[in-house]
Amino acid sequence: MAETNSQFPRSLEGVRESLGQQSGSNRALLLMAPLLAFELLVFVVPFFILLRISFAEESSDLVYAEGTWTLEAYSSVLTSDLLWSIVGFSFLLGVVVTVLSVLIGLFYAYAIWRSTGLVKSLLLFSVVLPLLTTLVIRTYAFNPLLAPSGTLNELLLSLGLISSPIQFVPGTVGVVVGQLYIVLPYAVLAIYSVLATMDWHVVEAARDLGASRPRSVLEVVVPQAMPGIIVAAVISFAWSVGAYAAPDLLSGNITFAMQVEGLMLSDMRYPLAAAFSVVMLLLMLASIAIMFTLLNRLGGEFELA
Amino acid sequence: MSSNLHRERLETAAFRAGYLALLALMLLPLLVVVVTSFSGTGRLAFPPESYSLMWYVEFLDSVRWLDAFTNSIVIGVGTALVATLLGVMGAFGQEIDDGSLGSILAPLVLIPLLIPPVILGITLLMYFNEVGLRGSYASIVLAHTLWATPLVYFVMRSVFSRFDWQQLDAAQDLGAGPVQSFVHVVLPNVKHGIFVGGLLAFIISLQEFVMALFLSTPSTETIPVLAWTEIRQALDPMVSVVSTFLIVISVVGILLAVVATNLEWLSKQLS
Repeated sequence: MAETNSQFPRSLEGVRESLGQQSGSNRALLLMAPLLAFELLVFVVPFFILLRISFAEESSDLVYAEGTWTLEAYSSVLTSDLLWSIVGFSFLLGVVVTVLSVLIGLFYAYAIWRSTGLVKSLLLFSVVLPLLTTLVIRTYAFNPLLAPSGTLNELLLSLGLISSPIQFVPGTVGVVVGQLYIVLPYAVLAIYSVLATMDWHVVEAARDLGASRPRSVLEVVVPQAMPGIIVAAVISFAWSVGAYAAPDLLSGNITFAMQVEGLMLSDMRYPLAAAFSVVMLLLMLASIAIMFTLLNRLGGEFELA
Repeated sequence: MSSNLHRERLETAAFRAGYLALLALMLLPLLVVVVTSFSGTGRLAFPPESYSLMWYVEFLDSVRWLDAFTNSIVIGVGTALVATLLGVMGAFGQEIDDGSLGSILAPLVLIPLLIPPVILGITLLMYFNEVGLRGSYASIVLAHTLWATPLVYFVMRSVFSRFDWQQLDAAQDLGAGPVQSFVHVVLPNVKHGIFVGGLLAFIISLQEFVMALFLSTPSTETIPVLAWTEIRQALDPMVSVVSTFLIVISVVGILLAVVATNLEWLSKQLS
């Protein structure tokens, strides 16, 4: 803490002094320099260290053997059936949650866009509040709701719809619902912020020309909202593939994030954890690139129709 | 024609029912948390079997929870200060001159938000091990700043883009120095934005949990980290008490931000 504190006032002082003498562009450079330095030191450099450690040998007494180069960690990641099944489950969760999150997010964002006054404020509030609430809270609240002795099961039992409790938690339904609740606010706001710039008269025109309401949404609103939909999909996907809290608390299955936490904190196998993270990041980047292309093309086709 | 009208009415009803149901579902988990905090028994059930304030009394007696609370506040304030300083300066610099450096800055600031927090946590844990910052408040503050800065930065870019820059030129033509003109001309117009940016940074830090889980030690553990450790052992209403405090802080934060700007604008900044 002390170190950072002494650094920032000094850089501020430097900026203040030089502001008087520098020309406009140098001044801009000086103002941006601290942020740039921060991103380099706390984001870019750490990733190179992660990459470096992923090529190091494991060590029995240290977290990794310094100064060694090997592909061992990568070969153990790539040949492990256990790790591949974990990767498979993580991606499956990511895809399912992303599809649901984009569909529901589009619907909810559209509702916010079309509403006015108090209803609009309430709908926006219902998105912003969960967004600003910790993952831990957003996750465990589903336990009393969905557990075998929880609220939903008791309700279904008392209504006579089921004869014995269904185990949503721990289980696949639980983790999908929990993770969906975590990413949905981001998806809604990403789509809404694009819709908010759109002109409602375009949709009205389509309806005047005879398009039904669902059709006008699908062919006019969706293509225009595509930038927001892409952001919503990328965020939902990245966060769900890397999900940690919801699967740990609500599911019996292990995800990438839980496995890599174990490798790091319990087993102290840094090279393996690093290599697994690098492989996962590359797979995610590739999937996001594919998703991006597909959605972009989808948007284009709709525009032609 | 009448069948068309009928269908439209049905569609409207379904649409309304759909989003009202979603509204209820969005708020339900938070309601569960608040209501279960008033439970009179040790079992976390919704609705609780009986109501009491016993878990609030217990919270105020717990040194561990209160320590975690202090840690969260220290880290939150630290994050808000660093992120606001970096974000405001960066956005201001880019407003003055959006050169080639500026075009790298925006994506660079944004990318950390798109990387799963577990990977960031691992990466930063390895890094802070190397540079000897592990276990310090600074390590968590820096990690949270990575997430909070993009928000402040984009809030400030939006604020600065609405500012009439001719006012600054005018002030300088009248002989004000760069610092003087910033303080007297720019600052009064953007102070609400700075306040909201800092507030969001604080709330983000207060609520962040995965990176904090990796980077904290027992002496620096934050509220969400302690809550997580407790949940994994046993689910009791104590965690709802703590969560209720966190929810109340977020509600107050949103209200303050809305007073300073408005909800619509705030929502757009968060995406």
